[in-house]
Amino acid sequence: MTATAAPAPASAPTPGHIGARREAFAGYLFIGGPMILFLILNIGMVLYALYMSVWKWSVLKGPLAFIGTQNYVKILSDDKFWHAVQNTLYYTVIWVPLTMAVGLFLAVVVNQKIRGQTFFRGAFYFPAIASSAAITVLWIFLVSPFGLFNEIRGALGVNPIFEALGYGPNQDWMGDYHTAMNSVIILNAWTTSGTFMLFYLASLQSISHEVYEAAAIDGAGAWQTFWKVTFPLLRPAHFFVATVGVIGGLQLFDQAFIGGGPNGEPNGALSTIVLYLYNALFTQINFSYAAAMGIVLFVIIFSATLIQRQLFGRTPAA
Amino acid sequence: MTIAGRDNLPSAVAALAQPRQDAAAPAAPAGDRGRRWRRRLAYVILIGYALLMFVPFAWTVVTSFKTLPDSTQLTFIPQPFTADAWGFVFTNLRPAVPIMFANSLLIAGIVTITNLTFGSLAGYAFARLRFPGREVLFLVVLATLMIPDQLRLPPMYVLFSGLGFTKGILAYLPVILIAAISASSIFLLRQYFLTIPKDLEEAARIDGAGFFTTFTRVMLPLATPALSAVAILQFQGTWNSFFWPVVFLSADPNHWTLPLGLTEFTLGPYAKNWPPLMATVVIATIPILILYMFFQRYFVEGVAASGVKG
Repeated sequence: MTATAAPAPASAPTPGHIGARREAFAGYLFIGGPMILFLILNIGMVLYALYMSVWKWSVLKGPLAFIGTQNYVKILSDDKFWHAVQNTLYYTVIWVPLTMAVGLFLAVVVNQKIRGQTFFRGAFYFPAIASSAAITVLWIFLVSPFGLFNEIRGALGVNPIFEALGYGPNQDWMGDYHTAMNSVIILNAWTTSGTFMLFYLASLQSISHEVYEAAAIDGAGAWQTFWKVTFPLLRPAHFFVATVGVIGGLQLFDQAFIGGGPNGEPNGALSTIVLYLYNALFTQINFSYAAAMGIVLFVIIFSATLIQRQLFGRTPAA
Repeated sequence: MTIAGRDNLPSAVAALAQPRQDAAAPAAPAGDRGRRWRRRLAYVILIGYALLMFVPFAWTVVTSFKTLPDSTQLTFIPQPFTADAWGFVFTNLRPAVPIMFANSLLIAGIVTITNLTFGSLAGYAFARLRFPGREVLFLVVLATLMIPDQLRLPPMYVLFSGLGFTKGILAYLPVILIAAISASSIFLLRQYFLTIPKDLEEAARIDGAGFFTTFTRVMLPLATPALSAVAILQFQGTWNSFFWPVVFLSADPNHWTLPLGLTEFTLGPYAKNWPPLMATVVIATIPILILYMFFQRYFVEGVAASGVKG
């Protein structure tokens, strides 16, 4: 956030200086509309969520009785919540590194001296432009029992391999408890790898040619150059992509909801923290419990970001 | 973001034709052999992966022209070829596709306009006008990017249902208000205004133009590239959005947007009725696809910029 280091510290306008006063007035007028919306719908809502979470809440009457930390205590012993946490962490821990690896690989390949760089970059980002709903419905079709994926592996004659792993020729990948979350992981790795590629590309292109030339003079091969030079120099990008990825991963909702409905079918395989929060609100109709869960999720996301900061060192991407 | 040099080939066809030209080139010196093989391998990977991106979408289009029994067959030419699914989604589906399309367009259109208006006004003020508390307020704006939507969900629902904004035509309001201004629009426009030289503005001020006139007559026309980027990013984001529509617009099918309708149909009455579902997927994707084909730069730069600036 180097951007905030703007010139002209907003010193108070000189008293009696009409120009400065008018300028300040215009400034407040210009930012007025958005600031009101931000204050109510962002900051106001966070405070309201905190407030709601410590009350017994009636849908019709609002706050009924102060219950302090009861909701938070309840969350800690709620098996369904922990199941959702487990699913969400499983998703995040596998999806983030997988998508980072694919994104980095694509960025390095696209960054070569190749023709049609723009075309390939555009092609790899392509799945990211569609809506989560459209792409998930398409995915459900592709991995359905008689979908393209099963048909193609049948046609290619690789079914014995899948057989050995315990999957029949018409495996219902999204409908089977054991494969549903993995299907969502692959779906999102496919759609998000293009975005991560763009993040990495921006950093790759900022590495100076001299570094590579020096490596070449020292006789380093391509493989060595990548691991010894490029990869470490991308550290700020790794930090940024991993942080964005973990924040997004912990908030998994769309694909899980579209694939398995509000309960994360089959049998809760796709139940995530956000899905469970949605359920607390609209199925259990327990507003303050849902509010408390939102706070807990925020704390989880915030801690994850801090931990990553420690892991990657204190170098923000900028 | 500028990609150094070599983007001169405009069309995909030319790009795909390239490896063949390479192969026809005179034999390279022995030392270059490894590099040439690496180059070829890169093209194989690139083209293979590009196919992995496109084939599912092509399959969607093909399936939308199939019959239901044919939709589970591995045939790339529909047998028989039929537009029944398309007729179905336009007339028989409840709500029909045109209604959902209109809902998506209405919400995305309004949100785009409000982001342009609020974003440019606030972006300009944060970049150029001097007023007490400017830096702090700008930090507040940026801080809103860290608040997850889910944290805001319960209070947001209480607020808007309390106001009666969950019934009738008012149900559109929460979804629009929540997206009406995004911190990223303000940020992007502020950064752009900072790059415009001050001379023009000062000349206008000396001529006696007020702050608002200077803004609309001088600064806004200069900011067209940034305004286009904001418009495209916001339109795409809102057109595709799922979370707030599912919360506030689910109740009445007449309010469904395309992503919402697709989800309801997939989970409900039309589960596994692939041809109409795929036709709806195509319709939900086409407007963004057209934008992407014409304005790819803005998509790519928008993402890269958010990556660089953090």
